[in-house]
Amino acid sequence: MNENRILVVDDEPQIQRFLHPALTASGYDVITATTGAEAERMIATSAPDLVILDLGLPDKDGKEVIKTVRAFSEVPIIVLSARDREVEKIAALDLGANDYVEKPFGIGELLARVRTALRQKVAGTSVPSRFEWNGLAVDMAKRVVTLKGEELHLTRKEYQLLVHLVLHPGLVVTHRQLLASVWGAAHVEDVHYLRVFVGQLRAKIEEDPNHPQFIRTEAGVGYRFIAE
Amino acid sequence: MADYGQQTRPDPDKLLELATRETRGKLTVFLGAAPGVGKTYAMLLRARRLKEDGVDIVIGLAETHGRTETAELLDGLEVLPRKQIGYRGRSLEEFDLDAALVRKPKVLVLDELAHTNAPGSRHPKRHQDIEELIWQGIDVWTAMNVQHLESLSDLVTKITGVIVRETVPDVVLKRADEVLLVDLPPAELIARLKEGKVYLPGNAERAAVGFFKPANLTALRELALRRTADRVDDQMIDLLRQNAIEGPWATGERLLVCVGPDSLSDKVVRTASRLASGLNARWLVVSLTKTSDAGMDIGANQRLDELLDLAERLGAETRRVIAGDFVDEIFRIARRENVTQVVLGRPKGKRFANPFRRSLPDEIVKRFTDVGVHIVTGDEQDKPYVPPAPQKRSRRELAESIAIPVVATAATTLLGLGASEIVHPQNLSMLYLVAVILSAMSSGRFAAIIAAGLSFVLYNYFFIDPIHNLSIAKPHQLFSLIIFLGVALMIGDLAGRLRDQVARSRNQAKNTQALYEFSRKLSGTARLDDVLVAAAMHLHSTFGTGVVILLPEEGDLSLQTAWPPDLTLDNTDMTAVRWAFEKNERSGHDTGTLPQIHWQFLPILTSHGVAGVLGLSMLEHPASLTENEDRMLTAILDQTAIAIDRALLVRENAKTAALQESEQLHAALFSSLSHDLKTPLASITGAVTTLRELGGRIKPEGRDDLLLSIEEEAGRLTRFVSNLFDMTRIEAGTLKVKSSPVDAADVIVSSVERMKKLKPGVAIDISIAPDLATASGDSSLLGQVLFNLLDNAAKYGGEGAISVYAKQDATGVVINVTDQGKGIPAKDIDRIFEKFYRRVKGDGRAAGTGLGLSICRGFVEAMGGTIKAESPAIRKRGTRFIIRLPIFDETKNEDTAA
Repeated sequence: MNENRILVVDDEPQIQRFLHPALTASGYDVITATTGAEAERMIATSAPDLVILDLGLPDKDGKEVIKTVRAFSEVPIIVLSARDREVEKIAALDLGANDYVEKPFGIGELLARVRTALRQKVAGTSVPSRFEWNGLAVDMAKRVVTLKGEELHLTRKEYQLLVHLVLHPGLVVTHRQLLASVWGAAHVEDVHYLRVFVGQLRAKIEEDPNHPQFIRTEAGVGYRFIAE
Repeated sequence: MADYGQQTRPDPDKLLELATRETRGKLTVFLGAAPGVGKTYAMLLRARRLKEDGVDIVIGLAETHGRTETAELLDGLEVLPRKQIGYRGRSLEEFDLDAALVRKPKVLVLDELAHTNAPGSRHPKRHQDIEELIWQGIDVWTAMNVQHLESLSDLVTKITGVIVRETVPDVVLKRADEVLLVDLPPAELIARLKEGKVYLPGNAERAAVGFFKPANLTALRELALRRTADRVDDQMIDLLRQNAIEGPWATGERLLVCVGPDSLSDKVVRTASRLASGLNARWLVVSLTKTSDAGMDIGANQRLDELLDLAERLGAETRRVIAGDFVDEIFRIARRENVTQVVLGRPKGKRFANPFRRSLPDEIVKRFTDVGVHIVTGDEQDKPYVPPAPQKRSRRELAESIAIPVVATAATTLLGLGASEIVHPQNLSMLYLVAVILSAMSSGRFAAIIAAGLSFVLYNYFFIDPIHNLSIAKPHQLFSLIIFLGVALMIGDLAGRLRDQVARSRNQAKNTQALYEFSRKLSGTARLDDVLVAAAMHLHSTFGTGVVILLPEEGDLSLQTAWPPDLTLDNTDMTAVRWAFEKNERSGHDTGTLPQIHWQFLPILTSHGVAGVLGLSMLEHPASLTENEDRMLTAILDQTAIAIDRALLVRENAKTAALQESEQLHAALFSSLSHDLKTPLASITGAVTTLRELGGRIKPEGRDDLLLSIEEEAGRLTRFVSNLFDMTRIEAGTLKVKSSPVDAADVIVSSVERMKKLKPGVAIDISIAPDLATASGDSSLLGQVLFNLLDNAAKYGGEGAISVYAKQDATGVVINVTDQGKGIPAKDIDRIFEKFYRRVKGDGRAAGTGLGLSICRGFVEAMGGTIKAESPAIRKRGTRFIIRLPIFDETKNEDTAA
């Protein structure tokens, strides 16, 4: 039915070896590339609906591929990366990757990210003015946030922060992206602002701010709004 | 207005001073007007009271002078034993500074601030001992009479007629945290003297009677009272400054004091010091030297040094000024420094004063309109500075300066006699002038004067009527003769001066050249040792002294370089070295610290503080360094310091680079390990989760392939982990190989089979020489080595077949593994056996651990063999690994077994 086409870019044959059958069995049309140049060519010619990209490629850096692709395509990109390559991962997200999965990963986790990213792609065409999850409602037309029917009083920054997160449901948003859109480009390094404001926001919307249900911290990377 | 604003803020310097004071000990001075007023008594009485309050107070030294009431006070107080110092066969008792530093009481009582220590003590003066104690955080109480104060010593001499020899610099009293005046009216003091309660050294008794006159005592008492009152004033002002209280305290006065090498200048400095302390003004002492005299007269320079030293001790800023026009220069300094008053001296009784030239004081008075001018007049004793007589000439020089004019004038006379027929005798005087100039040029002024005299006599005798007679017949000839003598003397003097100047410039040029050579030599050396040796050798050749250089090492200073190389330092020398290093000042010979040793130590000051200490052995150089030598020394020291600084930086750089490289290596190793472990883990996790979650939706062939991939990846992980273990065993040295017979052919075949099972597509040719001898080693280790080499060849060797070849030569069994890949560049071939070395960097290389080859080497060497790589192997391609194992020696092995 959905026959979404996914391009898997990885030079390790072992990874391709299980990704291919797993994605096929989940109903996706899988095409593969093993180098960065091949990946760029295939994105341009085969129009995949999503790209799964390993950052370590034999011919060029995966980040380069993202940069090139973002110049002509908004195709969702999920990055495969090792946990010790934190800086690389954040750079990839800032360059326009939509999400990441850390190796080693279970196939379920990857498939969940793939679904979120694909849904985002569909939703991206028309932005709804109202979101509601688990009792938290954000009405962007009226600029009103309610929790279980009760109106919350958010400051301007808190509101902007929340809106930016709910506009990317289920996807990670990096510190840099949040800071740039809420505080402006001059403040992209001021991560401590975020800690303070996310803390305040959680205190208002979360039942237990120590075990947040809505805004999850992606340590060292950013935040993710849980919309499941 | 800006000044006003500044003054209302707390003065940062004052606050800083306060902060340093807090870690330092406190100095309390008991000040008295004269001996016998009861300073020691008062001090001990106070000490007892403190002791009763439980304060840790110790008597370092207290002079009771046999007075029982004072001695009784010592009862119950801890008294440090005195140190015996042997000096010229006598034994002197002295205060034991080191014992006091070790004991480290809260408060130490140390009498007689003005005391001069016995030769052989650490410091020549007691106030220096006290300075050290205070630095170590010990509070010190001490006592002194006002007459010993440096700035008052001339005044005291004038009042009492007693010459004060032991003086204390004013700064000591100024820096004291507390000054207590011990006062006794003169009448009572005289009464005490009559009762015999005042101690006087035996031989001073008669002088003392003159000293203890009511008039003297009253004057001294006034001095003491005034000094104490001044101090209270100062303290109040300090307090105001620290607390930024506005007030009328800023006098804003600034004194400029001009001194020269004349003997009156001492008096000028002292007078200015009193004036400054009375006005509470800052004062600047400048020494004046004419540009034309600069650097000429060592005596005058030393004299100026002494004067400026004195001024500094009295609390002045000092500056040396070389100027063409004194009045201009003084005027300029006065403007720049906002001077309000000028102090200078005018010697009395200038007998040959030039009526056409105004004296300096007159000029100053005329020039300055808004500045007060103080003129200190001299008396008959004050003499203008007379340059010391030139140094004694060597006998050779003396002979030369007589012989040259004699020969020159004699030759002129002979020439004149020969030419008298054609030249008018009057013109012959010109010839004599030539002789005078020649003498001056070749031997200096002295010779010129002799030549002038001789010429005068000879010319008169031989050429002026009446000839052969020194009398003169005609008056006009007398006139021309006198003119001739005058001209000869003047020309001779000028020429001689010129010669001296040339000699001096030549000497300076030589010094400059030497310094230049030295700095060039230093700039070519980057290694610390070379720098030190070059510096030591250069200093040795410049001053003819022994030279040592010490640098800090593991918390202490250690001798790095000595020239001549056999020089050593004893314990006392090392104390002086540490002093120079810690205090950043000269120590040892001719300084204030341990002057009795023959070394002089100088701190080597770099931009990062004191880098080390330089020592000069003054044994060969008994006098102190001359001004000129000192300048040379400072210049060389500066150059050396820069070079040392640079050498240390280079060394530091190298260290940092090495560290960085090792850190990079670590990072690379870590990321490689992480990649190699994670890729199989990621595959296994991915395949397993796929099977569990999506298994039903995958075709049977797909499921089989996933299971196979799990098996393979698990195998890869196993190999990787066992490689790591093997490496650990090699590293830890726990790999013990029992030498046993190895059939290389068997091992080769089984390794190749194992390889073919893992990678079925790889082509491997085997070629084994017939009658291959049995090798000595371990079959399983050799198998692992061959497997690693084959694995390597399959990974990096490209598409071509791998060949394995075994033969035997005189020394052992040789096994070659050759691939047909790209080969390895010559620069890398030695590194491939290094642990975690991989030629292809980054994430996208073929999977491997970077351990295979280093394990091969470890194993082969453990078996007593060797392994090496050659590239290119065949036709500019490929890599060949050559293993050489010893041949199994049955007899030997049985021997060891038995």
